[in-house]
Amino acid sequence: MKQRAVWSAVLVAALALAGCGSATDTRSSPGGADGKLVVWDWKSGEATAGAYLQKAKADFAKKHPNVTVEFVAQPYEQYYTLLGTAIQAGKGPDVILFNGGGQIRDRADALLPLDEYVAEDRQRLAGWEAFSKDGKTYAGPVTLQGHPIYYNRTLYEKAGLDPANPAKTWPEFVANCATLTKQTGAKCLALGNKEGFGIQFFLSAFGTGVFTPQEQDDWIAGKRDWNSPHVKRIFALWKETQDAKLNSDGANSTAMFNDSFAIFQSAKAAHVIGLMSDIGHWKDFSEFVTAEKLGVMRAPVVVPGATPNLPYDGGIGYGVAKWTKDPKVAADLVRSLTSTDALKSFYADAGAIASDTTIDVSQGGPAVATIVADLKAGKPALHVALSSKTLELMGRISQQLLSGSITVDEAVKQLAASDQAG
Amino acid sequence: MPVDEAIPSVRPAPAGRTDGTPPRQRVPRARAASRGGRRAERLAPFVLLAPALLILALLRFWPLLLGVNFSFTGDGDRNGLMVGLDNYRELFGDPLFRGALRNVGLLVLLLPVAVAIPGLLATFIYLRVPGHRLFRSVYFFPAVLSPVIVGAIFNLLLAFDGPLNALLGGVGIGPVDWLGDPDVAMFVVVGVHVWATFGMALVVFLAGFATLDASLLDAARVDGASLPQTIRHVIVPSLSRTIQFVFVTTMIGMLTSMFGLLYVMTSGGPEGSTYLPEYYIWIQQGQMNRPALASAASTVLFLIMLVVGLLQISLLRRAVREA
Repeated sequence: MKQRAVWSAVLVAALALAGCGSATDTRSSPGGADGKLVVWDWKSGEATAGAYLQKAKADFAKKHPNVTVEFVAQPYEQYYTLLGTAIQAGKGPDVILFNGGGQIRDRADALLPLDEYVAEDRQRLAGWEAFSKDGKTYAGPVTLQGHPIYYNRTLYEKAGLDPANPAKTWPEFVANCATLTKQTGAKCLALGNKEGFGIQFFLSAFGTGVFTPQEQDDWIAGKRDWNSPHVKRIFALWKETQDAKLNSDGANSTAMFNDSFAIFQSAKAAHVIGLMSDIGHWKDFSEFVTAEKLGVMRAPVVVPGATPNLPYDGGIGYGVAKWTKDPKVAADLVRSLTSTDALKSFYADAGAIASDTTIDVSQGGPAVATIVADLKAGKPALHVALSSKTLELMGRISQQLLSGSITVDEAVKQLAASDQAG
Repeated sequence: MPVDEAIPSVRPAPAGRTDGTPPRQRVPRARAASRGGRRAERLAPFVLLAPALLILALLRFWPLLLGVNFSFTGDGDRNGLMVGLDNYRELFGDPLFRGALRNVGLLVLLLPVAVAIPGLLATFIYLRVPGHRLFRSVYFFPAVLSPVIVGAIFNLLLAFDGPLNALLGGVGIGPVDWLGDPDVAMFVVVGVHVWATFGMALVVFLAGFATLDASLLDAARVDGASLPQTIRHVIVPSLSRTIQFVFVTTMIGMLTSMFGLLYVMTSGGPEGSTYLPEYYIWIQQGQMNRPALASAASTVLFLIMLVVGLLQISLLRRAVREA
């Protein structure tokens, strides 16, 4: 026993000493063998992405016939963990798929600015903002991701409301909700906040009904005044939806993906803040809520002076690792992956709103048409501007707000501290 | 070294000679050869130990040292710079991590329950309650399910609009948000973990019962002992070593393999109430891109496990000595 104690003391001492050792080596080593580019993503394994990749590869092969491209599909759940390891090691894939916003900004150090390579695509594609940091662009957008408020037109009809005329103001919206619940038994909003995503969607969608356009721009630009009454109003509104029983039951234990969407699809709730691409969107819903019966509305005006708009950003996009051997070739692959032809397939097969605004979507039904029409007036989503750390805190705080264990003032204070620290 | 002491007791030989051959009876050449042989013999244990030691050193201790070293560096802009104890300061200033450590404490407190359940059930099976054969296999069944599947099953059962709440509603009790109420969620997850893993402990207990002296039980029965008395005075003392073993393995299981359940059932929520250090490490490394902070948390978890492990080993030792 004594010996064991001695050995553990030695071990602990060694560990403490190790702390005085050298810092980690983060020098990048050249990745990508000659004539080969490795792409990491979580999409290439899916059947719906097949045609998209085929076209992108063909486009790239025209420009660089001698370069082979290898797509490595990683499981999404571990994607950023694996990527973090690769970044720490300073070697790995040449071209990397990213979610827009915090996920790419937090890792911008490991990426190559693409501005000089993608200048030609600037006008054709939308959603650059989500892949930019400090004025530099780090990825080419593939899809747009946004948070439209979907509603079930069938339920509106059943409740005697006009599906073509959703509520324009908050009091109207609450009144409509009361009617909907009374007539159809459905809740007003399908909410899943188990992972803390519910508040993110809520902030971005309903926030446009509280903030003035100027306040939205300031928020995105990083000038966030957490003491302003409008910020408090948004979080008070979040609490209000719960207190007024607008939300589906058990929001804190309901997963957004995909339980809350299932609530909407099964007509147990009339509205849901969904997505535009990938999942939880018009194409996903169409199995139960057909394209004709699916409506998209802008947020109701909560504070006069707000002009509600569609919150959206670049959804996913391809960036180039800074350790790649030939940046030009890798950037060309990014351009091929965002070419009109390839993106057209992605829109049609995977049901994504592609970043290419020249694609014709008239066949997709009224909801898609509304979304695409709203893109012009749309602004970046409010929550995307926040750091992952603040988002994580906001998730927890939003759960406390729903359960009533924290006041709005205290919630905003904590978020302000986190936002200003990061 | 016990080896050194053992040899003289078997074959007395002058000091300094470990091969036990009497000196002065050998010609010089043989002596030289035997000297070489002796060297080989002396080296042999080290050569034989080398692979194991190398594997331990290269794949265990070296990465461990690197990880600890890494925990003293910064993240993001300060990547690679030494920041001293900053990460540890941040860690203990983070209410989330403190909550995770509190939950570890809670697990330790719940440990006796987690051991008592399989112990009691094994006792009933050993005492041949009706249907004990069926129970033996039924109880073991969850142990073969992966945590993800268990989590998914209980997600469905415990959903707010799920069957359990429907059942409770049927008897007039309001619905409970099992996984959405921060005061309840941790207990629910631990409960599900116990449900999913107690089969293993049960098997260990049954194995322990196999060594139990049946005559003691018969004697107790003849003396008119009640069931609680039998358990208290006959079964528990006879199974003390098995119980100790189950304590250790259950503790390790609780501290190291709840990740899957947490991930699937609560994602650390609601309100961060079901965080455990493991989950915290994963979030910091994978979601927040804070590998150095995650290393610091790993180091803390390692130290906790080291202390818990040493304590348990010493407890076990003492118990074995007493037995």
